[in-house]
Parts: sequence; structure tokens; C-alpha cells
Amino acid sequence: MATFITMGHAENLEITPVAIVTDSGRLIMKWRGAEVLNISRAFLETNGAPQFIDVAVESPIEINSSIKTADQGPINDEQFDFINMMTETLKDLNVASQRGMVEMFDSTIGAGTVAMPYGGKNALSPMDGMVAKIPMIHGDTTTCSMMSFGYNPVIAKNSPFLGGMMGVLESLSKLVAMGGDYKKARLSFQEYFERLGKEPVKWGRPFAALLGAHQVQAAMGTPAIGGKDSMSGTFGELTVPPTLISFAVATSHVDAVITSELKSTESLVQLFTLPLDKNGIPELTVVKAVYDIIIKANQEGKILSAKTIGYGGLAEAVAKMAFGNGIGVTLNDRIDPAFLFKPLYGSILVESFEIIEGSTPIGKTNDTGEIVYGSDAITIDELVEVWEAPLRSVYPEKAETTGAVETLSFKATPIVYKKEKQATPQVFIPVFPGTNCEYDSAKAFENAGAKSVTTIFRNQSAHDISHSIDEMAAHIRASQMIMIPGGFSAGDQPNGSGKFIASVFRNPKMMDAVMDLLNNRDGLVLGICNGFQALIKLGLVPNGEICAITEEMPTLTFNTIGRHVSTIPMTRISSKLSPWLANTSVGDIHRMPMSHGEGRFVASDEVLKTLIENGQIATQYVDFNGEATLDGRFNPNGSVFAVEGITSVDGRVLGKMGHSERIGKNLYKNIPGNMDQQIFKAGVNYFK
Amino acid sequence: MIKRIFVEKKEFEVEAKSLTHTFQRILKIEKLESMRILYRYDVEGVADGLFDQIIGTILSEPNVDQVFQGALQIMDDQKIFGISYLPGQYDQHGDSAIQCIQIVSGERALVKVAKIVVLTGALTQNEFDSIKHYMINPVDSQEASLEPFVTLVDEVREPEDIKPLDGFIALNADQLEAFRMDNGFAMTTEDIQFVQNYFNKDEKRNPTITELKVIDTYWSDHCRHTTFLTQIKQVRFQGDDPISQAMKLAYDDYCQTRTELYGENSERPMSLMDLAVIGTKALKKQGRILDLDESEEINACSISIVVDHDGIDEEWLLMFKNETHNHPTEIEPFGGAATCLGGAIRDPLSGRSYVYQAMRVTGAWDPRAAIEDTLPGKLPQRKISTEAAHGYSSYGNQIGLATGQVTEVYDPGFLAKRMEVGAVIAAAPKENVIRERPTPGDVILLVGGRTGRDGCGGATGSSKAHTEESILESGAEVQKGNPVEERKIQRLFRSKKLANLIKRCNDFGAGGVSVAIGELADSLEIDLDKVPKKYRSQRCGYFYYHGAC
Repeated sequence: MATFITMGHAENLEITPVAIVTDSGRLIMKWRGAEVLNISRAFLETNGAPQFIDVAVESPIEINSSIKTADQGPINDEQFDFINMMTETLKDLNVASQRGMVEMFDSTIGAGTVAMPYGGKNALSPMDGMVAKIPMIHGDTTTCSMMSFGYNPVIAKNSPFLGGMMGVLESLSKLVAMGGDYKKARLSFQEYFERLGKEPVKWGRPFAALLGAHQVQAAMGTPAIGGKDSMSGTFGELTVPPTLISFAVATSHVDAVITSELKSTESLVQLFTLPLDKNGIPELTVVKAVYDIIIKANQEGKILSAKTIGYGGLAEAVAKMAFGNGIGVTLNDRIDPAFLFKPLYGSILVESFEIIEGSTPIGKTNDTGEIVYGSDAITIDELVEVWEAPLRSVYPEKAETTGAVETLSFKATPIVYKKEKQATPQVFIPVFPGTNCEYDSAKAFENAGAKSVTTIFRNQSAHDISHSIDEMAAHIRASQMIMIPGGFSAGDQPNGSGKFIASVFRNPKMMDAVMDLLNNRDGLVLGICNGFQALIKLGLVPNGEICAITEEMPTLTFNTIGRHVSTIPMTRISSKLSPWLANTSVGDIHRMPMSHGEGRFVASDEVLKTLIENGQIATQYVDFNGEATLDGRFNPNGSVFAVEGITSVDGRVLGKMGHSERIGKNLYKNIPGNMDQQIFKAGVNYFK
Repeated sequence: MIKRIFVEKKEFEVEAKSLTHTFQRILKIEKLESMRILYRYDVEGVADGLFDQIIGTILSEPNVDQVFQGALQIMDDQKIFGISYLPGQYDQHGDSAIQCIQIVSGERALVKVAKIVVLTGALTQNEFDSIKHYMINPVDSQEASLEPFVTLVDEVREPEDIKPLDGFIALNADQLEAFRMDNGFAMTTEDIQFVQNYFNKDEKRNPTITELKVIDTYWSDHCRHTTFLTQIKQVRFQGDDPISQAMKLAYDDYCQTRTELYGENSERPMSLMDLAVIGTKALKKQGRILDLDESEEINACSISIVVDHDGIDEEWLLMFKNETHNHPTEIEPFGGAATCLGGAIRDPLSGRSYVYQAMRVTGAWDPRAAIEDTLPGKLPQRKISTEAAHGYSSYGNQIGLATGQVTEVYDPGFLAKRMEVGAVIAAAPKENVIRERPTPGDVILLVGGRTGRDGCGGATGSSKAHTEESILESGAEVQKGNPVEERKIQRLFRSKKLANLIKRCNDFGAGGVSVAIGELADSLEIDLDKVPKKYRSQRCGYFYYHGAC
């Protein structure tokens, strides 16, 4: 027990013994010395009086194998208007882009994300599920997990039984489309139904859904090994759709992972149909055979990209696969127009250089950036706009900032270390309440050959605080580098990111240790994200010292878009003043994981001028042409002068928003480009 | 002496701008010209010199904020109101300010924070009220007084001793039913009769209110799936259409599987739970799921996997879990959605695995719908959807969990109630996880978690029938998670040395003290006086069990 308590305190946790196990068969609670509860376990375990019910299962509302799940307008042979149908499909609320919502969520922390939620150079092709490497504190792995979900309320409302079947199948289709093996899938269900009361017909709905789900589990050999139910979806006369969400999980090798964006302009797009009988019931034995063909083709390296078909049929899937890299598709003229917009829920669209047996050819990719069908063509750019517009007023995908700024190129050679050489320089990484990038940061430094020391700032008592400060100051004196990692120190409170960290560094003992490192020992300081916010709030950038903040000093504030932003934009090296950037060249462009709510760099023109003259602007956000920009699509937080990172005058303190530490093998497979700035390696080599 | 200042962003006020836009465009309050948002700090227990120092470092930033001391100047065409947390709700803003003051100076001050809103424009009282209504969620906040404080010390009322409920076992059926209704119990009429009978026959005494509330929580749908365990007596299919025929065949299969697993004429009741789990039982019997990791301890779905670690194969456990927080998110979207993720994380975490990726699937109706079409007693879909997205993302972003997929499903049915579902995936080397049965003398330790009073009765809250009055009545029933604390436990449990000290572990979710500790072992003696005060009346946090050592 003492070990447990000691280890808990070291992590800044309160640990209290509160109960003991007895053999009385009773649950007893004492308060103020008296028993306030003393009941027998056997009684509690009865779970109350047994309840009984009869179940009555209704017929489906409609029996039809092609019930539409998206609002696309009618298909009329006489007046079939391909472009109108395409745009109507992409406008449907359940098809429209949700990127403005998705990018509020950090998708890169942990440096384990194998596929970003949106892929391609434009980061616009949605993935069917999520894939991550198994997390390792040390070392690397090629094993990844995949998770997907299946659920469609339109199908479920018509027939909860088919809703249950299709939910499970959709989750399995998505795994297969991501390169997973459905046979390894393990499921967990989420049921959400109206309040059932005592009415047999209401009980029939979850019963039918579970019956459908059970049938698929048995046929496919994929068990639901867990689940959670919520049976309270009633408000007056209103009820939630009969909901059974199937979550499917499997492991895979990272090399097998397929992402959804089209990759070649000279490939074939093909469909694997999820077979339904004439009543819309999936033919499960055939489904298996279809999945097996795709798995085999993937093992043979034949699949370039794949995506399941959702609400909006083939049309939606083709468009979403095209968006990522702006690669167009020329659809096969012989396809019946109705087929393009037919619901093919759970079917899988595949891109390959060759025809895979058992597939239906749909079209060829092209290099014109258009979706073409017969004599009709529409550009991907137009379709993207149609697709992103519907939810923009609720979840804006970018700030409405535009304009160009000067792309900076500053010639400088980084300062050279003149003190005693260090074979294995040590980096001190403080961990504050709310810090969350310390694992990734320590690993990046260790992989670069540094020794990393992480210390938890403890604040459970006044003694903890003063002790932590002493400990941290001592570590700084024993280290050559300080790295303040990202996170949300104290939840970005009190009302400002990095303020909590800055308060700690303003403690006189900490201040002395930091200034000794910089002034007397030629040490290096790095701050990323929350660490950059702390550095700028201390004055360490751009002033190179901890000082009082004045009205004129630059700072980082709320992103112009008014929310958290998680994306992988491009940054360009604009100055090599900093030893941290010694392994780069001015003009190098990196894709850089970003995840922050307060990353907007602001400074007056005068301050900017000085920073530019001194070469203190280290990196800028750039567009596809490598030019610095204020365009919200490329400059995610609205930083003035497109500034991503700045340094102190001598370059030994670097602060940047982008997570240079979130790198590794087999990450972000659907985002092309170089991500490694080698800043950790450069930091280590500086001392050698 | 209480010192008061107001702090306002100079030019980077994103929130005031976006809210002005919302009120002008969405609430159609066109006379609103502009608004200001300020934070008001009341600080007690710091000397003048220190106060000046903390104004420029902790309470404001000179290059971003402007500071007003004393009182605020209000013009004739302006209206003002304040928002603060309800007493007892944890306020991270104020608490962090207190800690920062302590870090720079060693002094322990008291700080209270309120958000002050100043509206410019010829607003009617109605318009002013609707802005207030939009901004103040009564579930966790209140309108703050604009008057100076006399003291910042919270009044603490000591609860009275708990005594047996005289006459409970003698109540007749009608009186008992009235008692059940008056106390807002989630248990059914049959349940409370069952309880009365137990105290009458077995215990031969009157229960305390604590005992009744604990039983109520234990048997709530949230904790014990009472709906899913209801025994199904008879199944009828109403139609003879092709799909009904397919359902009948599927039902026959199910009955056949029951016979194969349980034998002919088994007494085992049919239930939704049975139907949900029988697939796994059958496949297991056929030897088709060899990777299933089963134990008495149920934290999350768990399977054995082989993981390549720098070229060497290792045995790991992969855990995953989905969780809903529909009702809490419907009434308090930010906190409800945040805690949905917090709750999902806690299960695999208490299984001693490291949670590394999350998914979120939500259900709403069109968030673009006009605010005036909002159903009475409901929050607008736009507010629910956007604030829930903020809540879930803020929790995940803070705890440092990569979110790999986020999807909102739109269907008019979700006007009845929001769907907020989170799913997480976690892993740990198999050697980290030891599972043993508790033995007498083992000690139960409570680890971490500080959130305040919010969260009382979370489990029974989501199992009760809901009507228009939900928002006000259920006020105190929303739990608030604390990602900062939860992450500390993630770090702690990632250590093999520590994890190996644990025999069994349970998370402290909606069921609170009674269920969290109570589920760890059959026979227990819990000393509530030892439970740190901050946990006593709330239901978030963790109870972890481990052997005596």
C-alpha cells in the first residue's frame, strides 16, 4: 500500500484508503462512527423485483430493396440532370462535409495516428474509420488497431431488424475498406431506443434490432463482446430512431492500411456490391465472399484506395474519394444513371490499376480535376464548395481571412556552442497539470540521442508546490536543454493558455535557473504549442529573457476561427538563425501537425519589422506554391505575417505552434509530404 | 479586504464578436449593436503590492487585455448582467488563479470569478431576457449579483446525522407509493415493495434514507440494465411479409442457439440481454473466438492481441468501450458531452490499459433550424450540437487523446433527445494486468479526482422519465469530468510496477460511492469519514482496489 501511495503522490494524485474487504456477505457504510448502511449482498444482487414483458414485433413500414437514405431529388429518365443530382446529393445533410466540426478534435496527439480523418494533399477525403498504432512508451510497432461504426437511422426506422443487420455489416465493410480483416473483428453495440414502458410493440423494436445483429454475428463469426444500452429516448410524443450502432474493432499490420483518397490519375474505379435479395435483406454468405476478394486483392497490393458507400450512393463515394488529391473520375457511360444514385449501403468502392475479379467497373480516374459522365462534367472545386456549404454556418471549416504576405528568406548561420561538449545532452521536460505532449516530446528527444528527464509539477499542497519548484530548478541546472511541451496547462486557466506555466517560471528560483542556462551555459530552450504560449508570456521569445510583459510585445491569442483547430498544414523555414533548425534549409516545406485554440500570433508592424530584420521569424504558414499566406485554408489560426514560430535574438530559444514531435514511421499515411524538421537531432548535435 | 477588477480583451475578443453575430442573426435581435464580455475577479487575502503584480501576470496580460479597477462605467443605452457558477460547481478558472498566486508568491488567496456581459442597443426587456436565457445555463450557472461581496468564504452547512426512517416498514401500499413518488426514486412500485418486504422480514428494522438511495442507484437502468434484464415471456411477429418471415427464421435460430447452449427446457429467461450476448456465447462454444479476454472484473471489451515491438512479438490486451451521455448532453451540452468521453475512458483505464484513440458518433436534427422553432423545454439543436462538440473535444484535447473519427447523424427523431456516443480504444502489455479475487483484509484505495459537488445522482437522473421540466429539475444531476485529473491516473496506471499492485479496479462513474466501491467485492466495510470531503457528496472520481501490502 505504501508503494501505491508514494507512486500516486509522485503523479500529483491524492490517494486515500477508504474501505476494507470483509467476509460478512454485507455491504456496510459507516459515517460519524455510526452505520448508515448495512445490507446483504444477496439482496442487492437480486436487482429488484423481477420484471416481465411480452414482445410484439411489427412489420417493416416499407418492403423495398432500394430505400433512399439521402435526399437527391427524383430520377427521371427524360430529364435526368447529372450535375443537379450530384450537387443535390452532396448537399444532403447526412452527406455534407462535417470537417468544421471534426477539426475541433485533436487527431494527432500520441504520434500514433495512421490515417487522418481527412486525407489527400487537400485533406478532404473522409476516412471510413480510425486507425492508430498501438501506443508504446519506448520503441516502435507495426501493429495498428482499426475501429469503425455502422448505423443508419433511415434503414432502422423502416425496419429495426434490417437496421441491426446493416449496422453490423456497415461496420465490417468499413474495416474491410480500410484494409482490415472482418474475420478478426470484435464488436461492441450501442443501443438507444425510446422508453419502452409496458408496450409489447415498443419492446419489439430493440428485440428485432438485436435479432438482426445476432444473425450477422453468427453468420460472419464476429461476436459482439460488449455493449451499452440507453432506453430513455422519449420526450412527450417524440421518440429517437430505433438505434443500434455497431462498433467494429480489429488489429492489422500498418502496411495493409488502405486510405480513401484517389491516388493515381491513371487507375480504375470499381464497385463491390453488398448483395441484397429483392426484399433488401443482405445475403450473408455472398457478403463474405465479396469481403474475401477485397482482402486478397489488398494482400496482393492491388488496392490504391477504397471507401464504403454511405447515404448518397456511388455519387457521394466517388466525389469524396476524388476530393482529397483533386483527382477526377470519368464515369463509365454505360452505367445506368439510376445506378449512380441508387442506395448501395455498405458496398465498397475500390481504386486499382487493374480490374479485380468480381467487381463492377465504374470509371477511370482523370487528370482534369472533374467528375465526368457522358457529356456532363463538373469540377471537383465546385463540388467541394457545394459539399462544404451546408454546415458552414454551424461548423465553419476555415476563417474568412485572405491576402498574401511576404515570404521571408533570411540568411544566417546558427550560433555555435562553445562550452564543454556533451556526448549525451540532457533535456528537461516539465509536466504541469494539463500537459499532455510529454510522452511524444520525450520520445522524440530520446530517438534523437538525448537523455530526457520529465518532472511532474505537484500542487496538492503548499509543500508540494515549493518542493516541485526546487526539484525543477535543480533539473534545469543539470540539463543542457529545456523543452516545454504542449497541452492545456490548468485547462488554459486562468483565462489564457500558458499562464499557469509562466507563473511557475516566474518563481525566482526557476527564473534564476533558466537565465543561468541561457546566459552562462549556452543552453537551448524549446517550446511547442502550449510551451510556445508559455515562452511568449514569459518574454523568452522574442526577448531571450524572462521579463515583464509590456503592451507592445507580441503574443499568441485565440484563433481567428474562434475554435480549436487540428490539421496538418504546411510551414516553410524562413530563417536558420536557430540551432534547432540547423538541419533544415531556408525554403524547406514541412507538413506540420497543429492542434490548438490559441495559436494566432499577433504583433504590431514595428515589432514585426524588428523580428524580420533580426531573422527571428523562423517559420511561416504557406500555400501549395510555397508562399506565405493569410488564407484560412493554409494559415489555420490567422497569424499575422503567417508566423508559425519565432526565436530569441540569438536563436537559442525557439517557440512554435506546430507539433514537430508528432512524427514517426507509418503515420498520417493519407497526408503526402515531409514532416520531419529534425529539430531534436539538431538540438542534440549542437552540444556535440 | 476584497479587491475587484474587470478584465477585457482589447481587440482579439473572438467570443463577443461571435455571440453578437449569433444574437443578431440567429436570435434576430437586430437592435443589439455590440456587446462586451469581461471577467470580474474578486480577490481576498493579498496585499496591495502583490495585487498589482498579479494583475499584470495572472489576472491579465498587458499586451492583450485592458483592466478596469473598482466599478464599471455603464452608459444609458447599455444593459449589464453577470454569470457565475452555482455554489459548489468546480470553477477551474478561479481555482487556477488561486494556484498561480500561490506559485508566484506563496500566498493563499481567495478568488471568485464572474463573466460580465454588457449589451449596447435599445433592447426590450424580452430581448434582454432571451440573451440571458441563451447565455446562462441553469444546470451549472446562475446570474451573478453585481454588488460587492462581503466575504468570499463559502458558507458550509454541516449535514445532519442520518437516522432510520421511522415507520417505513409499516407503510401501507398507498403510503409507500406516495413515499416513492415524493422522494423521486427511479425504482418501480414493485421494487419498493420488495425493499420494504426485505427490511420487514430479513432486517426487521427501518432503513435509513442512505440505504434506500443506494439501493435505488444500484438497481437503476444506468447501473444494472433493468430494461435489458426484463424477462421476455412471449414473442409474437405481427406480419407475414418477407421481412417478418426473415425475422421469424432469425428468431428460430436464436431459440435453437439457446437450446444448444442452455439445454432443453432451460429455466434461463429470455431477455434483451440474453439476445445481445448469446452470439458471443455460441461462437465461443464453437471455439471461434480464442482471443476473448474474460474475467470477473468487467471494465471494457478486452481481447488478446499480438503486437510487434521493435521486431519482437509481445502479448498485449486491446480494450474498447462505448458510452452514451444522451440525457446530460441534452440539458447541459458542454459538460454532458465532455463527461461522455470521460466516462468512456474510465472503463478501459480502470482495466489498467492506456486509452489512445477516441471516436464520437452523435445524433441531432438540423442545427440550422430557426431558434424560434425550438420545442418548449428544449435547447436549440444548434446550441446542443455546437456546445457538445466543444465539450467532447475540449475533454479529449485536454486529456491528450487523439480523436480519429467524429460523425454527426441527422434525423428528426433526435429532437426527442440528443444522441451523444463516445467510443475509445486502449491497450496494455498483458503482463501489466493482474486480476485477482479480493480477499478479506484487502484495502480499497481511492485515487484522484476533484470536481466539486456536481454529479449527484447522475445514474438515476438518466433513467427517469423526462418531460419539459427536465432542465430545471435535474439541475444538480449533471456530472462534470476533470480531464486533468484523469490524465494523471492514465500516467500512473501506465506503470507496470503500479498496475501490478492492483487486484481489481472500478471506476467511479454515475453510480457514485455506493456502486463504485460496492462492486469491488461482496463484503465490504466503507468508512465514509475517510473519504475526502470533496468526494462525499459527488459522484465523479475513481475507486481503485488493491490488495493489502
